[in-house]
Amino acid sequence: MTDVVVRGLSKSFGSNQVLKALDLTVPSRQFVTLLGPSGCGKTTLLRLVAGLETATAGEIRFGDRRVDRLPPGERNIAMVFQSYALYPTMDVARNIGYGLEVRGTPKAERQEKIGAVAKVLEIGHLLLRKPKQLSGGQRQRVALGRAMSRRPDIFLMDEPLSNLDAKLRATMRGELRRFHLDLGTTTVYVTHDQLEAMTMSDLVVVMNEGVVQQIGTPEEVYGRPANLFVAGFIGTPPMNLIPAKVRDGVLTVAGAPLRVPLPPGAPADVVVGVRPQDVTMARPGDPDTIPGKVWMVELIGSERLIEVEIAPKVRVTAEVRASHRAALDDVVAVRPDPAHLHIFDPATGAVVSTTAP
Amino acid sequence: MRPWVAAILYAVLGAITFVVCFPLLWAISTSLKPKDEIFRWPPTLIPENVTFESYRQLLFGSGVASAPGAGTPPSDFFLQWFANSVIVSVGSTAISITVATLAAYSLTRFRFWGQRAVPYVAILGYMVPSVIFVFPMFLTMVALDLTDTLLSLILGYVCITLPFCLWLMWAFFRGVPIEIEEAALVDGASRLQVFRQIVLPVAMPGIIAASIFSLIVSWNDYLFGRVFMNSMENLPLTVGVMHFFDGTHVDWGLMMASSVLMTLPMAILFGFMQRHLVAGFGAGAVKG
Amino acid sequence: MKFRLSDRQVGVLFMLPLLVAVGVFLVWPIAEAVRLSFVRYNPLRPDEQPFVGFDNYVFVLQDPLFWESFWQALVWTGWSTVLQALIGVGMALLLHQPLRGMNAFRGLLLFPYIVPTVVIALNWRWLFNAEIGIINHLLLSAGIIDDRIAWLSTPNMAMGSAILLNVWKYTPFVVIVVLARLQTIPTELYDAAKVDGAGALRRFRDITLPQLAEVLAVVIVFRTIWTFNKFEEIYLLTRGGPGTSTYNLALYAFDQSIANLRMGVGAAAGVIMLLLLLAGSVLYIRVSGFGREDKSA
Repeated sequence: MTDVVVRGLSKSFGSNQVLKALDLTVPSRQFVTLLGPSGCGKTTLLRLVAGLETATAGEIRFGDRRVDRLPPGERNIAMVFQSYALYPTMDVARNIGYGLEVRGTPKAERQEKIGAVAKVLEIGHLLLRKPKQLSGGQRQRVALGRAMSRRPDIFLMDEPLSNLDAKLRATMRGELRRFHLDLGTTTVYVTHDQLEAMTMSDLVVVMNEGVVQQIGTPEEVYGRPANLFVAGFIGTPPMNLIPAKVRDGVLTVAGAPLRVPLPPGAPADVVVGVRPQDVTMARPGDPDTIPGKVWMVELIGSERLIEVEIAPKVRVTAEVRASHRAALDDVVAVRPDPAHLHIFDPATGAVVSTTAP
Repeated sequence: MRPWVAAILYAVLGAITFVVCFPLLWAISTSLKPKDEIFRWPPTLIPENVTFESYRQLLFGSGVASAPGAGTPPSDFFLQWFANSVIVSVGSTAISITVATLAAYSLTRFRFWGQRAVPYVAILGYMVPSVIFVFPMFLTMVALDLTDTLLSLILGYVCITLPFCLWLMWAFFRGVPIEIEEAALVDGASRLQVFRQIVLPVAMPGIIAASIFSLIVSWNDYLFGRVFMNSMENLPLTVGVMHFFDGTHVDWGLMMASSVLMTLPMAILFGFMQRHLVAGFGAGAVKG
Repeated sequence: MKFRLSDRQVGVLFMLPLLVAVGVFLVWPIAEAVRLSFVRYNPLRPDEQPFVGFDNYVFVLQDPLFWESFWQALVWTGWSTVLQALIGVGMALLLHQPLRGMNAFRGLLLFPYIVPTVVIALNWRWLFNAEIGIINHLLLSAGIIDDRIAWLSTPNMAMGSAILLNVWKYTPFVVIVVLARLQTIPTELYDAAKVDGAGALRRFRDITLPQLAEVLAVVIVFRTIWTFNKFEEIYLLTRGGPGTSTYNLALYAFDQSIANLRMGVGAAAGVIMLLLLLAGSVLYIRVSGFGREDKSA
């Protein structure tokens, strides 16, 4: 089995530097997701690993094999494209077997492998159709089948589910995860959808502006974000990020003191991060609460989101049970759970301390 | 749409279609008339006595044994001219399409110096009228001792077909998603395999459209044939049939029959390939 | 080990035939035309090609026939292009209507574009025949004219017949391009206008026309350039006659080279056409924004 090691990888298009001296290790047999907003360089990184782009600097290794000068066909990888990129003039069977065909695999063996893959993916009845005659979900499966037929060292997937409707996407997430557990092939998966990253990955690599922001398990990137970007990017609804001050060792938010242990040497200005799920409603005047006025109330099914304005233009969202009632402009208070607070340094963006476990 | 609006539209469309088709219908009508009926006044719209004499004369010869000094009647060369036109049209189209397809692929898939200029050169070449190409090319053919050969015509037609073939193929390849080629590269295919097994089949509609335009342009050309060729047996169809005017007496039946036969191959191409033709027009690349 | 070419090698290899072809079939003839325009060249004495400087150009610019051809070319081009654009847009709008059997009409109405010019010229000569032509017959029996018209041997009528031929053959070009553009106008725009209370005429003026403006400008520039330089349409119909009344620059250049055996003068006329065309191409590039998308590619 093969791990992927990326060292000092840079890529520029003209004067635009898309990747900046990036280091990354994808452990063997793991499902690793590159997650980030569009333009963060995640797709470029994947294409560099695939060999579809040439790096400006740096190196890429698969196991002990250096691959960054090899053409894609010699890297023994398979890739699933966002548009699926099925060969429009070939039928499904030939699409799946094309990688074997160009490698000169004998026809009988090829057909056996195509059959096996088709059986796993339940597309045996589609083998003689052309891509045009398939539905979106079927095309997705054929693209997957094409990747699986060759038993590659590494799977690369570029937003493979983004063209499917919501329901099918949920089903395919489970199936992809299941296939990965069965095959155990190292997989690099690019997405901008944090739900996909959270549900499928062993490791999530959060990227922004060509730089890795954090690498960790889904629990880690969600529970202990390394910086403001990760904190704001991961989680729905997004984490509350509230400007606050530290005076005489006491954290003060909008004038209200909160009893939270602070590390020595915390800067005077900080940003407090707390997820809406960790905010509860309280009465004004309760200890360790921040007073404010209800600004907006939204029902999201089983929960209700209450946005409270604690200072001009500064709002804190609390996620509470749907049975909780609140009217606009009610005078209330919010209580951030002191056991789930993240303190960031706004100058560097880095986390200063976290009370989360 | 209200029925009476539709009825008016159909009537207008019908009238326009009739006007557009009338010259050709009249040609067919004339070509089927015996000589005395052609010259009758007032003319008959539909032939009273249908005869295929004009077609027979073109396809099977006049049957007139050439009297000494009189020479062979021009109509006896019709089949030869037809064959010449087929050869030069297909020949020049094959050259233009091959060159244009390779270059257009290279232009849209690789980066190299001077690349940006090529489409500009194509559009420029596409606008230069044949009357500017024809004499320099003629003098070149004289120097190469190629005048009055079908090869010289094939080469001459490349001048007028290559620019728009390149333009059309370039527009076409820009619309072909590059991911399918990348998928094939990841699958382990070499560049040439990608080109042969993935790109060419996908590019077929574009190649067909460009070929049709190229065939039409070379088949319809008159100027190059007029300047390059001398001997009766080497003429393309377009130049040949104008010799039917040479005598003192113009045989309109023969004229219209050759018009019909000359249009026929293009009409058949057009009928089969209309879908591709419209696609080609859509790409904004038509010579005319 | 498999034989493999790098991407760069494939790229260059595929470009080579084009580079050769552009050199042989585009650059060479044009360069040769420019050279010819500066020498005296009689094809009967090909070995004597004395350099004569701008003499050929001076000759051309002082030749009344050149100027006559130039003005006639403008008349021919102006009428042809305007009529093609008007009729073309009208027909495209008509063909855009959602009616049954529209595809058949589209096919028939595009047909003239592929008919060889020689065939059209022959047909026109027959239709417009002064003695026994069907056009005269139809006009006479409808009472529109009292006497037969000698269409092709009266100067104005000959020009009119030639323009009509050109319009007949090339209007389909305008129709197809406009039709293709019409089909890309989002129907939501019309729905929005209907909701806003715009009638059919207003919708045409405020939505259809502005959307067509760009493509129409491109088509008109294209047609103007091509029509201006047309040779066969006129030569085969009237040979420039009667007299020189339907000459244009292409016929002038042809005549100087072939009939008068003054290839140098013909070439000079050709180079002047080429310069006019370059100006037109610059206009085309401006109008179409050609190359803009190229930069993002």
